[in-house]
Amino acid sequence: MKFYPYKRLNRPVGLRVTSVSLRLPDRTRDHLDTSAFSTPQRTVALGVAQHEDWLSARIGLSATLPPGATDPDAPWSDLRVLAVLTDGDTNVRTTVELRQDAPESKEWSGAIEVRRDDHVGRADLAVHAVATVDGVRGRAITETDTDWTIDTTAEEPLGGLRLDVKQTSFTKSAREWLRPYADAPWVVDASGRLPVVMVNTDVEGFSDLLGGETGGMENRVHELLLSQMATDVWTAVFHSAVGDLEVEPDGSPVFPSDWRGEVLREMLPDVVPGLRAEDALRQVHRRRTGDAGWAELQTRVHFAAVRRAGARQSLANVLRALQQTNREDRS
Amino acid sequence: MEAGEEFGPWLARQLRLANKTQAELAEELGLTRAAVSAWITKRSVPRPTVMGEIAKALGTDLGTVHTRTTDTQAGLPVTWYHRPGYQDGGRDGGNAAAFAFDADVQVLARETCQNSLDERLVENGRPVRVRYTIHELTGEKLEAFRAALLWDELQPHYSAVSESAADQKVGRVVDAGVRDMFEKGRLVLLRIDDYNASGLTGDDYDDGKFAAVVRRQLESLKSGRGAGGSYGLGKATLWATSALGMVLINSTLSVPHEGRTERRVIGRLELPWRSVDGIPYAGPAWLGRPDPETHNAEVVRSWWADEETVERLHLTRDNDEPGTSFLIVGAHDVASLEQGGTDSDDEEGNASDGDGIRDIRVMHRRLVEALGRDFWAAMTGGGSRLPLLETSVRTYRNGEIVLEEETVDPTDIQPSRSRALRAFYEGTTVDRLTEAGQVALRAVPLKLPLFGGRSGTLGTHQGVLLVTEAEDKDGVPNQVHSLRGNRMTIKKSTVHGLPLGVTQFQAVLLVGHAAGESAPFAGEAEEFLRAAEPPEHDRWGQTEELTLRWSHSAHNRISRLTTEVNAAVKELVVRPKRPGSEESAKLRKKLTVQRKTAAVKRGSGPTVPELVELDAEIGESKEWRITAEVKLPRADELPAMTPVVLLEVRSGGRPRLDWAELVAVEGCEVEGGVLHFEQGARRAVFRGATDPTSHPVRTELTRLALELRAGSGE
Amino acid sequence: MIEQPHHLPPRLGLLSATAADPFLTEDLLRGIQGHGGVDLAKVVEPLPEEDPRWRAEPLRELIDDVLHQFKENRTEADAWLAPRLHAALRLTRREAADRRIWNHLALGVAPDYVAWRHASAPSSGSADSRVAAARFKGSPDRQCFSRLWWAAELFRNGRDYAPVVVACSNQDLIHTVMRSDLVDHRPTAQALVRVLQSGIATTGREINGLMAAINTAGATLVYDAMAADEWRDPEDLRRWIEEAETAPPVPRHELPTGPEEEPVPEKSVETLTKYFADLFETAPVRGRAPQG
Repeated sequence: MKFYPYKRLNRPVGLRVTSVSLRLPDRTRDHLDTSAFSTPQRTVALGVAQHEDWLSARIGLSATLPPGATDPDAPWSDLRVLAVLTDGDTNVRTTVELRQDAPESKEWSGAIEVRRDDHVGRADLAVHAVATVDGVRGRAITETDTDWTIDTTAEEPLGGLRLDVKQTSFTKSAREWLRPYADAPWVVDASGRLPVVMVNTDVEGFSDLLGGETGGMENRVHELLLSQMATDVWTAVFHSAVGDLEVEPDGSPVFPSDWRGEVLREMLPDVVPGLRAEDALRQVHRRRTGDAGWAELQTRVHFAAVRRAGARQSLANVLRALQQTNREDRS
Repeated sequence: MEAGEEFGPWLARQLRLANKTQAELAEELGLTRAAVSAWITKRSVPRPTVMGEIAKALGTDLGTVHTRTTDTQAGLPVTWYHRPGYQDGGRDGGNAAAFAFDADVQVLARETCQNSLDERLVENGRPVRVRYTIHELTGEKLEAFRAALLWDELQPHYSAVSESAADQKVGRVVDAGVRDMFEKGRLVLLRIDDYNASGLTGDDYDDGKFAAVVRRQLESLKSGRGAGGSYGLGKATLWATSALGMVLINSTLSVPHEGRTERRVIGRLELPWRSVDGIPYAGPAWLGRPDPETHNAEVVRSWWADEETVERLHLTRDNDEPGTSFLIVGAHDVASLEQGGTDSDDEEGNASDGDGIRDIRVMHRRLVEALGRDFWAAMTGGGSRLPLLETSVRTYRNGEIVLEEETVDPTDIQPSRSRALRAFYEGTTVDRLTEAGQVALRAVPLKLPLFGGRSGTLGTHQGVLLVTEAEDKDGVPNQVHSLRGNRMTIKKSTVHGLPLGVTQFQAVLLVGHAAGESAPFAGEAEEFLRAAEPPEHDRWGQTEELTLRWSHSAHNRISRLTTEVNAAVKELVVRPKRPGSEESAKLRKKLTVQRKTAAVKRGSGPTVPELVELDAEIGESKEWRITAEVKLPRADELPAMTPVVLLEVRSGGRPRLDWAELVAVEGCEVEGGVLHFEQGARRAVFRGATDPTSHPVRTELTRLALELRAGSGE
Repeated sequence: MIEQPHHLPPRLGLLSATAADPFLTEDLLRGIQGHGGVDLAKVVEPLPEEDPRWRAEPLRELIDDVLHQFKENRTEADAWLAPRLHAALRLTRREAADRRIWNHLALGVAPDYVAWRHASAPSSGSADSRVAAARFKGSPDRQCFSRLWWAAELFRNGRDYAPVVVACSNQDLIHTVMRSDLVDHRPTAQALVRVLQSGIATTGREINGLMAAINTAGATLVYDAMAADEWRDPEDLRRWIEEAETAPPVPRHELPTGPEEEPVPEKSVETLTKYFADLFETAPVRGRAPQG
């Protein structure tokens, strides 16, 4: 439980994106359709096919402060509202001050510029209301409870972490390190900035099967394969995520800020049920680095992966389809 | 002074009302019959001196004879006329139309406003104003109203119907209505006034708006929209909303009838077949003045009432603007009970007053809701364009205001749709949506078929599709509301197959006359869609009329329009995909770590001790002093826990503070910084103070975090 | 100590950690035996041919110079190399976030430098001397070259690399700071350097105390509100990167010049310098490491 030593607003700031435009190398601006951002997903997708080379994106913002922020008898003064864009991959922090729409208004608006060269994937956008409280300047009195994600490459404004899927010939790929795996239909590389599933196009028909929408039995097999791959991926990313944890001075592991953190928060409730995420992570870390208990945990890791991959359902679907085929053959 | 009727026709009617012949009047005046006949046939007028004699003979004053704006009180008084039973003894069971569905003020709002829109006086360009007044009467006010209604004449009829309550639904409804009035001592009047509308013009019996509403009930239901004029099935909802089956009407006409316009009054009652004192009655009854021209002068017709009478009947209109007031006597809203789930019968013992207030407040709210939902478009103007309709709702109790008059504001109830329509009127729409709050416009084609089943296309009408970002108040998101000339939402359809993450929108499709004056084939499209509209006005599709006038496949044109609309919507709100990006989409979906929105789900109770309460303050020597409460699970053995006090940081590892003091208060013991909980305890409280010399920064600049860790906390 | 590979790649490429793994042999990490470079080249993904920035030779020369100059004092190599590496390998942050380029630089171009710079203390006996694999392919704040490049990127004040030299001269600062996102705020980074220069906090313990104070207060304070930063025009950086083609080798004796970006507003730096100094001086612990 947390405790602040000063008065704050107990409700969060509401944040909406209102427009997005790209500044192009020829210094013109391209106003993107509002379909470039999604309010329910709190995501802006800046990946547009026509303009790979945009310089910066201007994102129009509108923030709504909770009631009480601008009361004349509020216990603070010098209220300001800042939008802060952060990116853990590139250590970028861009801040812009929003302007109050009208005196006494709860609505504040402005625009933040996102530099293309400063981001590789996703950046987080938050809004902080800052004021002088009890003579202390710069106090955060409330903020957004969920960040917006500014995805500089995605074409669809979807929240959540998406892993990368690449199809390539393992024997002919420029990635020569894949050659030893020529016998495998797929491998998972969880060492990069984002985990990648490499699909081996050398396995004939495999790629078609994955991409196909043929229906019937083929579809069921497709499903089953996908869930098999997904099980592998989830297992791999989990191990990769717990493998390289930072540790606090008191020895507690810290949730990584990148995809590893997201994977852990997603899977830990199944790996170590009944514990808070932080405690669960501590336990997993202790088992991995300690003397005992790591092997015993593998069953649970596998269970967590299988659940996420929807293996049970896709298996059931195949079985049902098989039964049907058998019946048809007999009749 | 009002323009009076011509003397001749007026005198003729007064004689009929008084049941006097021309000869009798001539005799009383000491004149020849030919002289009276000359007045009536408008060949001459009486000399001023004779006027006084005529007034005396008709039992009225000189003023009335001069102005001729009302009828004399001579003759038969206003009364109820009950249609006698059929000769063949048939018992149709009352008006099926009126009792076909449950009372629902939202349906009533829809139907009555629709009628008012159709009856709007278009020449002056002003909107038709429709006002709903809910008025609950109790005590003396109720008594007075019942007296004005001539309740005593009706009482035997209601008793007869109540006796049949066990057999038929109508009887049960009426019985409940009467009991409500007497046992709870209350009666709810719901009045619907329209202004700047045509009013109930035309003769009492011939074709015309008056007859369509007051006389033809069953007929209009049977023959659909054609014969019923503007008032189709809809008017039945007026009677359906009355638990007593009673509606009183006061109309100001836009076209004079019998030389008059104001206070044309009549009442109509819908009851099932009944037998009173051995005489069978067919069902309906009318409140009016007996018509001397009918058999036995029994049938009653509308009368031109004086101001006092309309006042007593709660029918007074605001001014002389044309339009009609319908007063639903004993209004009830069965639909709201289904929604609200409160059964008032169970609470009979309770003070019924509070209950009644609740009823009328709910009715008020539901009316406002329905008006906003169904007529936001008609109520929206923009640019040089006035709205077609203004509506308001107000609620009284015994003449005292319960809820102030509330003007229904479409921008409040349907913010995004009304914004879309206003932008269209003002010409501020855009081609692509690039900013929140913008309205995008797309033309969508409706290919109209040729008449009479011939294949081919008559022409292509360009409908107008408006799309804008949704707001919370609009209700179900991602919908297209389709409207034609009358601006009523006919069709609501949800756009399916949208990808995850599409920002919610609302769309409006304007077709027919709604698409604007310049839209090609607007009239033809309007006609086509009207034909494709069922009496419920809630969709466009296959109808009998469509099949007869066009063809069996004509409705496919509407399906094609829907396809076009959905495609256009998607083009506006969905991010186009790069070719080939569909590949592996399924796999990607399976591999997506969804963002956590909800808190971690909890089971039936805590399985480990859990911090539930933290109170903290900064002490005198700048130490953090905390009091914390722990909720304990029901377990035989409770694990020892270590309270760990940390400071939050911007990023990275959090510094852990030292305890200067850690004391058990309740349900636990402290031993070497570890909490041991008492067996069977459900909660534990402990206090503590940090060692201020372990703080990495001034205490007032820190944010405290307290955690419980298992065991010794390492 | 291992030698540089026999086969030096002419150009930088992308080496994924998975592909690099087989080459991170125990012998390499112990500094006993390097790799030949030929097999490694096969698993590297090439970068675009036409871009002059990926020429490996200038970088290798820089490494050779630093190896020579700081033979006796390897920790001081960081302050010298960081600005020069940054100016020699002109990258956008987006490009620098790709770890594969750093993996290749470390393992393909200069494994000998990594081994020399990060071998564990020789006092513990040469047999136990070992380089952490993370110095070759680890997180940006651990990897041998990416930590220097990022330190230069985060501490330079526009075109001025002088603050980088101060920051990198202090191993404690660079170690602690790079893990925290506080220095993502440019005025904070500059103010930290100023506090360091003022002599208020000098020892490792004091610097840790300073960082802890700023980091802890940062849980409730928004430093951005006290000290505003300037907008950096992305075109300034692009121009500097384009000039890489014609730029002379980075100067060895003077500091190179960075991109002509807007410097941090002086007023913001002064405000925060004062504020941080006060935070540190009024902190109860003041460098005594909080008990873990």
